[in-house]
Amino acid sequence: MTAMNILEVRDLATHFFTLDGVVRAVDGVSFDLARGETLGIVGESGCGKSVTALSILRLIPPETSRIVGGSVRFDGRDLAALSEAEMRAIRGHRIAMIFQEPMTSLNPVLTIGTQIAENVVRHTGVPWRAALDRAREMLDLVKIADARRRIEEYPHQLSGGMRQRAMIAIALSCNPQVLIADEPTTALDVTIQAQILDLMLELKEKLGTAIIMITHDLGVIAETAERVVVMYAGRKVEEAPVEALFAQPTHPYTRGLMHAVPRLDADAEIAGRRPRLQEIPGIVPALNRPIAGCAFAPRCGFATERCRAEAPPLVSTSAGHAVACWETARVLEAA
Amino acid sequence: MTAYILRRLLATLPVMAVVAVFVFFLLRIAPGDPAAIIAGEDATREAIEAVRAKLGLDRPILEQFALWLWRLAQGDLGVSIFSNLPVTRLIGQRLEPTVALTLSTLLVAVALAIPIGVVAAWQVRKLADRLVMIFAVLGFAVPGFLAAYVLIYIFAVQLQWLPVQGYRPIAEGLWPFVEGLILPSVALGVTYMALIARITRASMLEVLSQDYIRTANSKGLATRRVLLLHALKNAAVPIVTVIGIGIALLISGVVITETVFNIPGLGRLTVDAVLKRDYPIVQGLILVFAAVKVLVNLVIDISYAFLDPRIRY
Ligand SMILES: Nc1ncnc2c1ncn2[C@@H]1O[C@H](COP(=O)(O)OP(=O)(O)OP(=O)(O)O)[C@@H](O)[C@H]1O
Ligand code: SF4
Ligand SMILES: [Mg+2]
Repeated sequence: MTAMNILEVRDLATHFFTLDGVVRAVDGVSFDLARGETLGIVGESGCGKSVTALSILRLIPPETSRIVGGSVRFDGRDLAALSEAEMRAIRGHRIAMIFQEPMTSLNPVLTIGTQIAENVVRHTGVPWRAALDRAREMLDLVKIADARRRIEEYPHQLSGGMRQRAMIAIALSCNPQVLIADEPTTALDVTIQAQILDLMLELKEKLGTAIIMITHDLGVIAETAERVVVMYAGRKVEEAPVEALFAQPTHPYTRGLMHAVPRLDADAEIAGRRPRLQEIPGIVPALNRPIAGCAFAPRCGFATERCRAEAPPLVSTSAGHAVACWETARVLEAA
Repeated sequence: MTAYILRRLLATLPVMAVVAVFVFFLLRIAPGDPAAIIAGEDATREAIEAVRAKLGLDRPILEQFALWLWRLAQGDLGVSIFSNLPVTRLIGQRLEPTVALTLSTLLVAVALAIPIGVVAAWQVRKLADRLVMIFAVLGFAVPGFLAAYVLIYIFAVQLQWLPVQGYRPIAEGLWPFVEGLILPSVALGVTYMALIARITRASMLEVLSQDYIRTANSKGLATRRVLLLHALKNAAVPIVTVIGIGIALLISGVVITETVFNIPGLGRLTVDAVLKRDYPIVQGLILVFAAVKVLVNLVIDISYAFLDPRIRY
């Protein structure tokens, strides 16, 4: 482990054991997160982004799922080897997470102040009053006006954007080294989305927090990430510095995402949301049976016999740029 | 909030008025002539008419009603036909055992059922949960009086740890008072315990799958805090509702329990008054029971506003 990396994920595999068989939600994913870096993880719905994030924190549902392989090293420590109590001490303190739905992610019957302060008390042991002071400070930091009044309020009294700011305030209240943001702006309308992303980047600069930014929106990636992991069907198919990815997207799936056209979604229009990206033609493969060969083959214009028979290994194409595709040469020529 | 409580309190007045009308006329149209009963089996026609006149039963029914309502508004429930004692005093004398029994039953049921339900939801589909569910089904299926006889047999007759039956007022000391309440409370409480535990489990299960519980866990909070604060507070509304229904059922059930355990409370007073057709007492009792139920309902409603800040008032 290099001292640079705060988090190293190696061959992580998380499976769900369902009546329809074993769902390989995450199937051998590796990536590093440097201290203070913003890493984007992008992919279509169902490709395993959230499960990857929850696996890092060991928050996957224990009744149905298990981490079946790989390792997660945080600050030199193997998280899988920690006891549940040790893991709890890390959650919310060293690694914090914010979720997609600010509407449902905050507890409706507890005040905003309580929900921030309890995290502070839990991990720093300061008295409740001091934690409430900290809560006010955090609300100022995330630019919620009138913090004194707001900490007394309940989530339903806040707008969607403010709730997500409150979530950020909770997550950053103990100065975590890693912030995992799972689609933090997907549920928000466009202007609010931009404000929240700006806020996260500003706080990241101020506090030096490394961020894993999970999204299905390449626009968000372009605005925030330094490095990008592209996931498909539970695997990493491409990884590159953000400039390289946009300058030379190499995996056919990444290219598909880039060329995807915004669909005019009536509901999304009404809600004032950014139109969702048109999915690439074809459907995501079912994850409840083993996939022979390249998972993208059924949807790929470059697919060959070999693609269908044998899974392509991740190959480095240039510094920091790696792709899992047999036909990279042909793909690049086609550009 | 104060305005809300006052408003809700005022809204109970029409309900109580309807109950009053209902109570008065229901008993008038019931079969049986009270004057004849009071006068005794071999009474002559004249004797019966004399009793009727004395009690005012010969006057037009609307007049009787108006008079009764007027007195009621002044807190006068009339006098017993047989003992000539004021109904309020008779009820007052019997209040303590019933209130004590109802509250202690509730305490036993709630204090055990909620932790049991929470643990079952937390340990869902594991051993602890399965045991709780078996208990819930059994506890709900076994009638209270049967449980009572079994408990009396084991703890009072065989082990002789507790008194068989009877009631000791709190004035005779705390321990004798508590001792006398244990068996009836447990016997009576089993059904409610099962019911409340089941609702707690179901409500908790639903809450535990919510996003905000995942958020709470992502903060590394202690399981205790996640369960008892984050989850239970959200799960509370259905639980409190069932507790309220439980209180209502308990109050209706005192008749049987007090008979089984030989406790001189309102239940026994009710039985005696009904058998003797002592109208004023029966009317007074129904009114008191109704008022308590309306009040319980009110308290439950108001508690929603405390439990869930989203409820508007
Ligand atoms: N509780 C579960 N039981 C069974 N399968 C699950 C469960 N949760 C997730 N999965 C499966 O795991 C896969 C990955 O899900 P995940 O939530 O990580 O996707 P995602 O990339 O975050 O998608 P989205 O953009 O929709 O959030 C999906 O195919 C899904 O079917
Ligand atoms: S390996 Fe083959 S099927 Fe998979 S992306 Fe590359 S060309 Fe397409
Ligand atoms: Mg997701």
